[in-house]
Amino acid sequence: MMISFWDFFIDPVLRAPTWGCILMCLASSLMGVLIFLRKRSLLAETLSHATYPGAVIGVSVFALLFPLHEEWTFIAVLGGAFASSWLGLKAIEWMEEKGKVRTDAALCFVLAVFFGVGIVAASAMQSALPVWQKQVQMLLFGQAATMTDVHIAIYGCLALTAALFLFLTFRPLQSSLFDRDFSISAGIPVSILDRILFWLLLISLIVGIRSVGVVLMSGMVIAPAVAARQFSNRLQTLFGLAALFGVLSGFLGNYLSVMGSLAFSQQGQKMTLPTGPMIVLVGTIFALLSLMFAPKRGLAFRIGRILAFRLRCLRENILKGIWKKESLSFDQLKEAHQISPLFLRYVLFRMKREGWLSRKEKRFGLTFDGRQKAASIVRLHRLWELYLAESLGQQVENVHRTAEEMEHILTPEIEERLTRLLANPTHDPHHQPIPEKHESILGN
Amino acid sequence: MAADELQIAVLAAIAISCGLIGPFLVLKRVTMFANSLSHTILLGIAAAYLFTSTLWGGGLFDISTLLIGAFAAALITAFLTEVLIRLFRLQEDASVGLVFTALFALGITVVTLFTRDVHIGIEAVVGNADVLQFRDLKLASLLVCMNLGAVTLFYKQFQLACFDRSLAQTLGISCGFFHFLLLFLAASTCIGAFRAVGVLLVLAFLVGPFLIARLFCHRLPQLVFWSCAIGVLASVFGVALSRHLLSAYDLALSTGGIVAVLIGVFYVAAIFISRLKRKPLTVHPKDQ
Repeated sequence: MMISFWDFFIDPVLRAPTWGCILMCLASSLMGVLIFLRKRSLLAETLSHATYPGAVIGVSVFALLFPLHEEWTFIAVLGGAFASSWLGLKAIEWMEEKGKVRTDAALCFVLAVFFGVGIVAASAMQSALPVWQKQVQMLLFGQAATMTDVHIAIYGCLALTAALFLFLTFRPLQSSLFDRDFSISAGIPVSILDRILFWLLLISLIVGIRSVGVVLMSGMVIAPAVAARQFSNRLQTLFGLAALFGVLSGFLGNYLSVMGSLAFSQQGQKMTLPTGPMIVLVGTIFALLSLMFAPKRGLAFRIGRILAFRLRCLRENILKGIWKKESLSFDQLKEAHQISPLFLRYVLFRMKREGWLSRKEKRFGLTFDGRQKAASIVRLHRLWELYLAESLGQQVENVHRTAEEMEHILTPEIEERLTRLLANPTHDPHHQPIPEKHESILGN
Repeated sequence: MAADELQIAVLAAIAISCGLIGPFLVLKRVTMFANSLSHTILLGIAAAYLFTSTLWGGGLFDISTLLIGAFAAALITAFLTEVLIRLFRLQEDASVGLVFTALFALGITVVTLFTRDVHIGIEAVVGNADVLQFRDLKLASLLVCMNLGAVTLFYKQFQLACFDRSLAQTLGISCGFFHFLLLFLAASTCIGAFRAVGVLLVLAFLVGPFLIARLFCHRLPQLVFWSCAIGVLASVFGVALSRHLLSAYDLALSTGGIVAVLIGVFYVAAIFISRLKRKPLTVHPKDQ
C-alpha cells in the first residue's frame, strides 16, 4: 500500500491521528516553555503520571454508567485525568510548603503513589470490566492510530484555548516570568495567572496522554522548549520556535509510526510501532541537533570559537617568538610550541602566504607587516606587565604569566588607555624596552 | 513455599534493599535521578541482553545480564545527564527529563522491534507480582546482601557525601565515586525488582518509607532502620490486603500497586499522628 504525504492530512483514517498528534504537541510545547523557564520541567513528569489514576477511574465510572457509548469514553478520560492531576499538583504543593519535603523527593513520592493508585484501579478493571481495559492500557504509551475526527475537534479546541490564552495574556505573563516582584507591585494578578497557567499545563498533559502516553509525556513537554531555547532569548520567539518544533515532532513521529509499522509488518506478522516513543524520539533529535548546531549557543559553535581563539594565540606567539630571535628554524619553532609538526607546518605555510613570514635558508623570518604585528603584541605584553607591577602592585616575578594571556585579548582602546595611564612608558618592569606604537599596522 | 509467603518474602527483601539506599538518595537530592534510572534500565537490560546472548548465550534474567544492564543504565544515564549539564550548559531539570524520556523511548522502540510485543514495556512499568518464582526470591535476597554490604562497608563515606562534601574531600573520599556507586546500587535495585513488582514500586519504596521515618526520628542509622521496617510493614500489609480482597470480593488487584498506595496512606496517617503529637509543644513551648 502506498501512502502519499498529503494523505496524512486528508485521508479519513490517517488524518485524525496526524492532526491529533500535531495539536497535542502544539499545546504541550507551548506549556513546556513556561515550566522550562521556571526550571520545573520535572513537574510535567509527575503530573503526567498523576493523570493515570483519574483516567482509569473515569473510564470505570463511565463504563458502569453508559456501557453502550464506548466512543465517548475520552470525555471520561479527560475529566478524570484532569481531576487527579490537579490533586497531584496540590499534593506536591502541600508537601513542599507544609511537609517541608524537598522538591525532588515530593515529585518522586507523589508520582509513585498516584501511579500506584492508577495501577490498582487498572487491575481492578481488568478483573471487573475486561472489555474496557484496553481503553486504559493504551494511555500508558499512547496510541494515536485509533483516534477519530471527534478527537480532533476536542483536542483542537483545548490546544487552541491554551495558545489563545498565552497570546492574550502575553505582556503580563512575560513580566511575571522575568520579574515576579515587579509584576506584583505593578498590580498584575500574578497568583491568578499562575493558577490558570497550571490549569492549562494540566490540560495540555491530559490532551497529550492519548497520543504520547503518560510515561513519556514529559519528554514532549521538555524537548521542544530545550530546542527553542538554543536559538533565542526573546519570549515571543521561544513560543514560536517551540510550537514549530512541537508540531514537527508530532507530525514526524506519527508519520514514522505509521510508515514503520507498515514496513516491519510486511515481513510476515503484523506489528505496531507505538506513536509516543516515536514522537519523543523525533523531539529529542530536534533538541540534540539544536544543542549541537544552534548559532551562538550550540556546542559546535562554541568549540569553533575556542579553536579560533587558540589558533590566533598560536599565530601571535609564533610571530612574537621570531621577533625576539630575528629568525628561527622549523625545529626551534617545534620545540617552542608543543603541537603536532604537521599542523605547525600548515600554520606556517598559511602565515607565509598571508604575508607575515618569509623563509630564507630553512629559517623563518618576519616580513615588514609581521614585524609590526609582533612588535604590537610585545608592546601589549609589556604594557600589561608594567600595569600589573606599577598600578596594581603585583610582584614583578608574577606578572609574566598573566601578560602571556592578556596580550591576545587587549583591544586597541585598552592599549590607548594603558598608555595614557602609565604616561607613555618606554621600559617594562624587567627593564626591556617597550616597542613604539605603529599606526600603520595592517590586518587582524 | 506457598505463593503468598513467597510474595511477602520477595516484597520484603526489595523493601529492605530500597530502604537501605533510599535515605541516601533523598538526602543527596537525587531521587528524580532514581526516577530516571527506573526508566533507563529498560534500555540497559535490552543492550545487556543483546551483548551477553551473542557473547556467551546468556539469558534475559541471568544475574550477569542484569548486573551488566544495571551498570550500563547507571553509566549511560549519569554520563549523558552530566554531558548535557556541563558540556551543553542545559539546566539540570531539563537535562534529567530529556535524557530519561529519550532513553526510555529508545528502549521501548528497541524492545518492540526485537520482541514484536508492546506488552513488555507495560510489564516493566507495572510489574507482575502474581507470577513470582523462587528464583525471584534468590535475586531479591542477593540485592539485599549487595546493598547491605555496600552500605555497611561505606557507611561513613555515604554519610559524608550526603552531609558534608567538603569534609569528605578533605578526608580524601571521592564523592564522585560514591555518588556513582549509589546510582549503581539504585539501578541494580530497580532492575532486580522490575520483573517482580515493577519499577514504580521501587520508587515508592525508595522515597516513601524515608519520608515517613523522617517525621519521627532524625538520626541516620535510625532513619535507615525505620525506612526498611516501614517498607517491610507495607509489603506484609499489601500482600495480606490483596489476598483478602481476592478471597472476600473476588477482586484481583495488582499487589505492587497496593503496596505503593499503602505507603501513601501510611504517609498521610503519619502526618496526622505527628501533628497530634506536636500540638502540645506548640501550645506551651516554654515547658520544654
